[in-house]
Amino acid sequence: MAYLNQQALLVFATIIFAPAVFLHLTNKNTSAVRLYMVQSSAIAALLILSSFDRFSPLIAIAIVATVAVKIFIAPYFFYGLIKRHQLTFSVSTYLNTPLSLLVIAALLALTQSEFFDALAVLSTSGEKLLRLAFATILISLFLSINRKGALSQMLGILSLENGIVAFALFAGLEQSPGLQLGITFNILIWVIIATVFASMIFRRFGSLDVTAMKKLKG
Amino acid sequence: MALLILVITPLLAALVSLAVRKKILFLEVTAMIAAPVEFTAAMAIAAEVYRQGDSEYGVYLAAGPLEIVVLFTVALVGLAAAFYSVGYLREEVRKQIIGFSRVRQYFVLFHFFLMAMFFAVITVSPIMMWIAIEATTLSTAFLISFYSKASSMEAAWKYLIINSIGLLLGFFGTLLFLTPGSESGADRFIDWHALVEGAGTMNPTLARIAFIFVLIGYGTKVGLAPMHTWLPDAHSKAPSPISAMLSGALLNVAMLAILKFKIVTDVATATSFSRNLMIYFGVVTITIPAFIIITQKNYKRLFAYSSIEHMGIITLGFGFGGLGTFGALLHMIYHSMAKSVLFFSAGNMLLKYGSTKMMKVRGVLSVLPVTGVLMLIGFLAITGMPPFGIFLTEVYILSAGIADHLPVVIAVVFLLLLVFVGFLRHIVGMAFSGRTDTDPAPGTIGESNLLTIMPPVLLLALLVVAGFYLPGPVKSLITSAASLING
Repeated sequence: MAYLNQQALLVFATIIFAPAVFLHLTNKNTSAVRLYMVQSSAIAALLILSSFDRFSPLIAIAIVATVAVKIFIAPYFFYGLIKRHQLTFSVSTYLNTPLSLLVIAALLALTQSEFFDALAVLSTSGEKLLRLAFATILISLFLSINRKGALSQMLGILSLENGIVAFALFAGLEQSPGLQLGITFNILIWVIIATVFASMIFRRFGSLDVTAMKKLKG
Repeated sequence: MALLILVITPLLAALVSLAVRKKILFLEVTAMIAAPVEFTAAMAIAAEVYRQGDSEYGVYLAAGPLEIVVLFTVALVGLAAAFYSVGYLREEVRKQIIGFSRVRQYFVLFHFFLMAMFFAVITVSPIMMWIAIEATTLSTAFLISFYSKASSMEAAWKYLIINSIGLLLGFFGTLLFLTPGSESGADRFIDWHALVEGAGTMNPTLARIAFIFVLIGYGTKVGLAPMHTWLPDAHSKAPSPISAMLSGALLNVAMLAILKFKIVTDVATATSFSRNLMIYFGVVTITIPAFIIITQKNYKRLFAYSSIEHMGIITLGFGFGGLGTFGALLHMIYHSMAKSVLFFSAGNMLLKYGSTKMMKVRGVLSVLPVTGVLMLIGFLAITGMPPFGIFLTEVYILSAGIADHLPVVIAVVFLLLLVFVGFLRHIVGMAFSGRTDTDPAPGTIGESNLLTIMPPVLLLALLVVAGFYLPGPVKSLITSAASLING
């Protein structure tokens, strides 16, 4: 990504990080999907920029596949799920908003701590970017744990995956196009299966609230 | 070539099964042809590795002694499960629990599941291994929700979400490990060999962070506590042959990923960091199920918790190192066989009694004489009673820790006793207690069909023989694999 200076990259990192935080705050499912699309668009832009100095037809295919899955196909499935079951609002969280924000602040502080100084080894010039991407990973992980709604959990996992991709890009750990295609294909299958399951859960339990599933204990 | 056959055969079997219309027999024949071919290919690879030290196909597929140990468990359990599935599903079709489309769905996913596991073991790329292990999650999610009940859907959702999060963390750890080769350009294809070679130049702190993520990530799939919560649900809700494959094969595949990264971490950190971490996770993973087993009410969950406990023992063995590593590898093999026998027995009991609740399963020895005996012997084997192999491997593992970790060894001995007592209470209750009002009618007493009996009988016979006699080549391969892990 020699084409971009640190400031520009920091803007991208922020566009990837911010939706992870806002996903905790939004109550509307459509807004949550839009936030994921914004985050995915930034990832796609980074992927395109990172491919300029190593362009090949296979890389172009890998990028097109990534863009298609993250920006079009996954949101298409999610919007379909929302529309089919009229899921306007997402169900509640385990922690309330102020407490959730406190946890987010703590996670952010953790990523800035000395414990993760070793991450600087990966990219001395882009240390801030790595820490921000790492914060995205942790905050997305927290989203999946804190939300009771199946759709929010799915978005949390996909946001976590975006955070990992951002980290890999900032650290210069891009994978070969073949592997990228494999990973993207995996995500596509995951999105389809998870959406089918969410639909089945709604039909069976009348909501996407995973706390309604209480059959298995002990 | 055998490596390629190993991946292609289940893929072809899945495609053929997908194309089958109406005739269940074709699905059964496909499974009964594919599984022996896969097992033969696995044995051919093992023979080659024994002769030459490794087996390769092109630059993408390879196997060494460590992979062979896991490959053997996957192929063996896969073979037994394929034949058992035929008998099990025939009985479910006869009872009109499922129809043709469900049987087809089952076999298609069964073959994909096997293919993903084989590929995960023999791919040379850590990223491809991650993709394959993630593919096992995706292929088995619908097998866990196979009966479309509320509880099975809950189990499948938990499985999907917890494992996806775990595997993403494992993916992050994997990426961190790829750092040493980053100078070679972005389009590189890093294999395990290159990763170990480059580990010497890796930042030790980064290697530690990466290993923590890998251990938590793949450890979720292994069922290490406290990330184990999906396992009892998934293993108890899946059809019994799939439960056997999840316990006897998949857990070992995920463990293989951890072991491969452990080798890299040990080179990078040159300390016992990974071993200490594995001891910690091993002890926690033995402790939690040991207490839950006592109060368990569902026999499939009982066996699932036992799998968690055994993964804890295996992890502990790798943590202790030395003889413990050898014991842990051998334990993986014995556990796969014994647990498959137990899950197949569980399937037979479920077919007969229609319930997984222990209270409703009484007098198994008189209602299902062969299954009852299988369950009893399986129980003795899995709880580590002599003369079964698991007794020996537990002695190996614990003796490896006596010198440096005596308190841990004492605690684990106590926990293993607790598991035995818990198991004994439940198994005796099911095997010997008098009849209840939920018992099958007298006319229906007896086993369902030969295919639900022969696979566990043969597996048990193999387990007993392997407890007394390990062929030289097998011992040699396990010793080589242990040396690789111990460094």
